[in-house]
Amino acid sequence: MSAAALADERLRLASETGTPCAPVRDLIGEVDLDEAYAVQSLGIDRRIAGGSRIVGRKIGLTSASVQAQFEVYTPDYGVLLDDMVAADREPLELSRFLQPRVEAEVAFVLGRDLDSPATHVADVLRATEFVLPAIEVVDSRIAGWDIRITDTIADNASSGAIVLGTVPRSLDGLDLAATGMSLDHDGEVVSTGSGAACLGSPVIAVAWLARALARHGRPLRAGEVVLSGALGPMVAVTGPGVYRARLDGLGEVHADFIDSRPEGALA
Amino acid sequence: MTAAAAFAAALDKAQRTASPIRRLAPDATIGLGTAYAAQHALIARRLARGEHVVGVKLGFTSRAKAQQMGVSDVIIGTLTDAMRIDDGGTFDPRTAIHPRIEPEVAYLLGTDLDEVDADARGSASAIAAVAPALEIIDSRYRDFRFSLDDVVADNTSAAAFAIGQWADPAHAGDLGNRGVRLEIDGRPVQTGSTAAVLGHPHRAITAARRLAAAHGFALSAGMVLLAGAATAAVPVPARGCIEAVVTGLGRVSVRVDRNERISDA
Repeated sequence: MSAAALADERLRLASETGTPCAPVRDLIGEVDLDEAYAVQSLGIDRRIAGGSRIVGRKIGLTSASVQAQFEVYTPDYGVLLDDMVAADREPLELSRFLQPRVEAEVAFVLGRDLDSPATHVADVLRATEFVLPAIEVVDSRIAGWDIRITDTIADNASSGAIVLGTVPRSLDGLDLAATGMSLDHDGEVVSTGSGAACLGSPVIAVAWLARALARHGRPLRAGEVVLSGALGPMVAVTGPGVYRARLDGLGEVHADFIDSRPEGALA
Repeated sequence: MTAAAAFAAALDKAQRTASPIRRLAPDATIGLGTAYAAQHALIARRLARGEHVVGVKLGFTSRAKAQQMGVSDVIIGTLTDAMRIDDGGTFDPRTAIHPRIEPEVAYLLGTDLDEVDADARGSASAIAAVAPALEIIDSRYRDFRFSLDDVVADNTSAAAFAIGQWADPAHAGDLGNRGVRLEIDGRPVQTGSTAAVLGHPHRAITAARRLAAAHGFALSAGMVLLAGAATAAVPVPARGCIEAVVTGLGRVSVRVDRNERISDA
């Protein structure tokens, strides 16, 4: 078994048993990002074989402080599957997650393909059909979030679920870099930030992703959702309850964590 | 000399000579009452030298700030005219020990908020104007290490402040979640939201009234209220231009430089 297959197996077991595992850097090292993305692809291919569909991508490591923490001065990305997507206020069972954390982001919904390795911000602006406020539920299969760059990439960029707002906004006249973000829980503000925290602007992050994916031959397609990266520090989810993200000019979105879904409820 | 007067004398000297001192009561807390008495005594010394009170400031209004400093309660300090820097004006780093700077929202009080009947009018009518602001803090304690009592006695680390163009609050819109950017020489060094200030900077008015009433501060028409930091504070560079931008409200800047041209003139 190759190192990538062993790493994938370790992550799969953690996910399926709900028991966090050891990091995979002992198997794939801490330097080779391509190897880490190969592990990520194994996991995604298996989920697709099980019936999941790709609905978009997420960008991670977009803030200067997180990049400094990982000593990696580039973002990373993961795949969004249909079973990861929830709408505003749709209940999220805590049992789905191992060690969930939440962060507020801007979700881009593409109206056109972004398939050029030379994609720049103007292409992103032209291709974006609308944006939505979003909460990303990040999660790590690795115990205690003891992750380095290759661990998180292999683990599909520590993705868990995404909650999308339901009121689309046009980018026309919207300065995402200047957009304020406030995330609250139980009436207390638990994270604040702004669009500028995401590589200077979420639009810049999406342009980076489009180029990276085009170079790897898996370009962004019309209709896909791109989660562009956190606008402020992530916050651990401690139990059932509602986390509300407010993005100035984009509206708000709620992640409602519950212990378990009532019998017969909409699944 | 009372304990409060002795603390005030030590802190006053530390500020005037830009020399850090040890914490006042490293082994036992002096109590919030004594700490505010020390701050009032410290300000009385400055007023005796000809300074005037022009406002108040709040401290530890944000989670980031409270975590940075390891404290949790909101505190209040005093602003004097000597701390004021014009928008675009110069701050001489030699006047401070280890200054840090942070972006804020400033309110201009339109009524006396310490009047009994101010309650009925609510806080909205109390605000005459609102503006982006920069605050420079400079703990007089070595290594910026202090207890809540220590920092209250030290006038909540207040050192200097600059205020941008005042806006009519009726036209400024909801300031509850505006993007905030702190730049040094054109590069963003901190980004955040006004929501970091107590969840909404407007709440600073209620908090200031509560703290002023509890600890003997005046809140009069014409005073400035610095609501609290919207991002973590960053060290002031030896020289450069520092600018704060609050989305939809405007910008304010301070130049950091040795003030030789002024003394030479």
